[in-house]
Amino acid sequence: MSLKDQLHVLVVDDMAVSRGLIVQALEWMGIRNIEVCNDAREASTRLSARPVHLVISDYNMPGGSGLDLLHTLRANKVTQRIGFILITGKADRAVIERGQKLGMNNYITKPFAPEALKTCIERVVGRL
Amino acid sequence: MSGNDLREAFFQECEDLLEALQEGLQQIDSPEHDPETVHAVFRAVHSIKGGAGAFGLDALVQFAHRFETVLDRLREGEISADGPTIKLFYRAGDHLSDLVAMARSGDDAAEPDGAELLGALDELAGDAEDEDLSDLSFQPMTLDLDMIGAPDPDAACEKAGQSASGAARWLIDFTPTAALYASGNDPALLFRSLAQLGALTVHADTSGVAPLETAEPGPPGLRWQLELETDAALPDILAVFEFVEGMCGLEITPAADSLYGEDGPKPALPDNAAPGEATAIDAASASDPTAAANDETSPPADAGAGGPDGHDSAPPPATPANVPGSPPMNGPTNGGKATGAPQPTIRVNLDRVDRLINLVGELVIKEAMLAQSIAQLELPNDSSLHAGLDGLKQLAGDIQEGVMAIRAQPVKPMFQRMFRIVREAAAATGKQVRLDVQGEHTEVDKTVIERLVDPLTHMIRNAVDHGLETPEERLGAGKPAEGRVMLSAAHRSGRVMIEISDDGGGVDRERVRAIAERKGLVTPGADLTATEIDNLLFLPGFSSKDQVSNLSGRGVGLDVARSEIEALGGRVLITSRAGAGTTFSISLPLTLAVLEGMVVEVAGQTLVLPISVIQETLQPSSVAIHPLGRDSHVLANRGDLVPLVDLGARLGYRSEPPVLDDRVLLIVQLDNGRRGALVVDRIHDQRQVVIKSLERNYGQVKGVAAATILGDGRIALIIDPDEVIGAGAEPPPGDMPAAATG
Repeated sequence: MSLKDQLHVLVVDDMAVSRGLIVQALEWMGIRNIEVCNDAREASTRLSARPVHLVISDYNMPGGSGLDLLHTLRANKVTQRIGFILITGKADRAVIERGQKLGMNNYITKPFAPEALKTCIERVVGRL
Repeated sequence: MSGNDLREAFFQECEDLLEALQEGLQQIDSPEHDPETVHAVFRAVHSIKGGAGAFGLDALVQFAHRFETVLDRLREGEISADGPTIKLFYRAGDHLSDLVAMARSGDDAAEPDGAELLGALDELAGDAEDEDLSDLSFQPMTLDLDMIGAPDPDAACEKAGQSASGAARWLIDFTPTAALYASGNDPALLFRSLAQLGALTVHADTSGVAPLETAEPGPPGLRWQLELETDAALPDILAVFEFVEGMCGLEITPAADSLYGEDGPKPALPDNAAPGEATAIDAASASDPTAAANDETSPPADAGAGGPDGHDSAPPPATPANVPGSPPMNGPTNGGKATGAPQPTIRVNLDRVDRLINLVGELVIKEAMLAQSIAQLELPNDSSLHAGLDGLKQLAGDIQEGVMAIRAQPVKPMFQRMFRIVREAAAATGKQVRLDVQGEHTEVDKTVIERLVDPLTHMIRNAVDHGLETPEERLGAGKPAEGRVMLSAAHRSGRVMIEISDDGGGVDRERVRAIAERKGLVTPGADLTATEIDNLLFLPGFSSKDQVSNLSGRGVGLDVARSEIEALGGRVLITSRAGAGTTFSISLPLTLAVLEGMVVEVAGQTLVLPISVIQETLQPSSVAIHPLGRDSHVLANRGDLVPLVDLGARLGYRSEPPVLDDRVLLIVQLDNGRRGALVVDRIHDQRQVVIKSLERNYGQVKGVAAATILGDGRIALIIDPDEVIGAGAEPPPGDMPAAATG
């Protein structure tokens, strides 16, 4: 089985449209195991019960940012090795640097083309 | 979702976001605002920008970006939300909403001019340019591929979910309390849900149940021990018991041989559960849920002993849930319950709801027909058919109510729009106005709301333009310079009341009268009460501003607003106190689909009158009827003289009957606050009728509001008493359709 068949991805975004767009891009890449979640807290609860390989999360969400989620994931033994890609509207230095410190695997700025997201993912998990 | 669906979803999301933005700005504007509000406002604009970027809506992105930059500075405390700034934000919000509307319609010719606004925003944005991040040394971190499939070695299960050994065994000890049964829950249904998760074994422990002969009503004694072998994680199991939380003793523990880790979450367990032990990490279930369900070789559950009453409450054999290749998007989303999450909602095409409403209408008609047929059988009163019919009636009523509730929406979005109207009207008239709203969660039928927007907009503009005085006049009258417009909604006795009031000078009755006389709307010197003068404002052709202002006097007056409201089955009343302000009260039906009506007979025709207008019913012999003029009559009722109108004659079914004996008089309330008496032959029934539009199916007929289908299949016209009595001077319409036999 190829990587894209095995890879389990969780998309975290509070906006249904952004979630849809990300899922659409992932499906276009051929990734089959996609789950979605609409806030950071739900995501961390879910991930500690059922880890995935890669989390793709929006930065700006009510109730907890994408980096807050990353922080929680890295602090929990079960979830600390999950790959994490941050999606942000604006490449803000402070955000990127904090992400870097927390062990963010990669980031991408909105809006993005599916190709760009694919490159972004491939730099983390290898060729799909 | 296809690209187009997503685009449409984006615009729907925008509506919510714009509403949140509007509301957020109002909160920032109020003295006690939460710092989180600024974040919410920022997020709303940010999300609009994000979505707009994805769909290539450049104008929208550019403006949202500029707005967002300013809001970011506000968020960082670099600028403060003082008066002019917040005004600018409001305008920017309005502009943003125009841009969204423009992008949605694809009509970029109508691009609103935002240059000046952009300039003002730029001033506030300062020189916050996008940072140059080229020197940032971010290197993507590659994931160790070997670990793919095994995020945690402790909970490892290679190729998650593909091996049957991933299933864990859980012991569930379940003791329902009386509350569980009292709330209508059935343990068997819970077990059935559990059986969907995997192989379930059920053992009922009846040792706590008292023998039947000594049994007293008291705490139930049944207890169940279940064993579940499943791939599902603990939260999924707990989710089954979600609705009985607190109504049962529940203990879920992993069986000794099952696979579990130590660092799992400590999920919130219902009352008696043992949180310490009930932690488990099930790496296997990170997989596609279909794999989990299909892996089961599910031995049939042990059909446990039934309850003491012989009722078999054991679940059926566990059937493996066959989720045929469910798309990943539909993966379980109830894994972790986020606390304080908003109630889940769905968006449904309005057509579907309307079709359902239509069907319910047909159901009500069918039920009425059935009732009529049964009545003709002349069965004994205790016949089970009557009981069955009553049950059916009740159910049909409940369904109807439920369906109506789907269409009901809070008036909040409509009220929110009025803030912009007030802002614009205030700017155009140079007045200072504050709008306060109340009862914005009041729910009204969607159609009513949609059709109310225009009249309400007009009346709000009218309140600012004509109701409130200029700041100078207000200061002179000892009032604060800022005028106040109050918009409120509330449910009152089966109707919705919406009030628009201002604290202006009240209706200037002298002037209103003078204008009405000049325009020939009233006879000079006529004896008019204050209410009658106030009501002159609603007359067609009345515009109290000598010069038509470009705001509320756009050729349409309050008369148009009123007729729009009346078309909705509503009524408008005006009350005014000199120096203290004016209030317009709009009373509306909750729904446009059904009506509580009185079924009457006139000249062999069956007609329906809205029960809401009928004040009393009288025998002609019991009241004094006086002739008035050549062929009119009035009737003395409660110290008033009330015009008497024969419904049959007015509708052209017959000529005026010479004697009124053994007929019935209905005293009805008219919109202008007056009353009238209608002569009908007989009262048949009072019932809910389904409104069928006559305008859509036939054409508008004066005096007739709509039609309905009765229990016997006949069509009956629903009478608009205002038009019938109000049409006093006019000759009876010649083209009155006689009710056809359906």
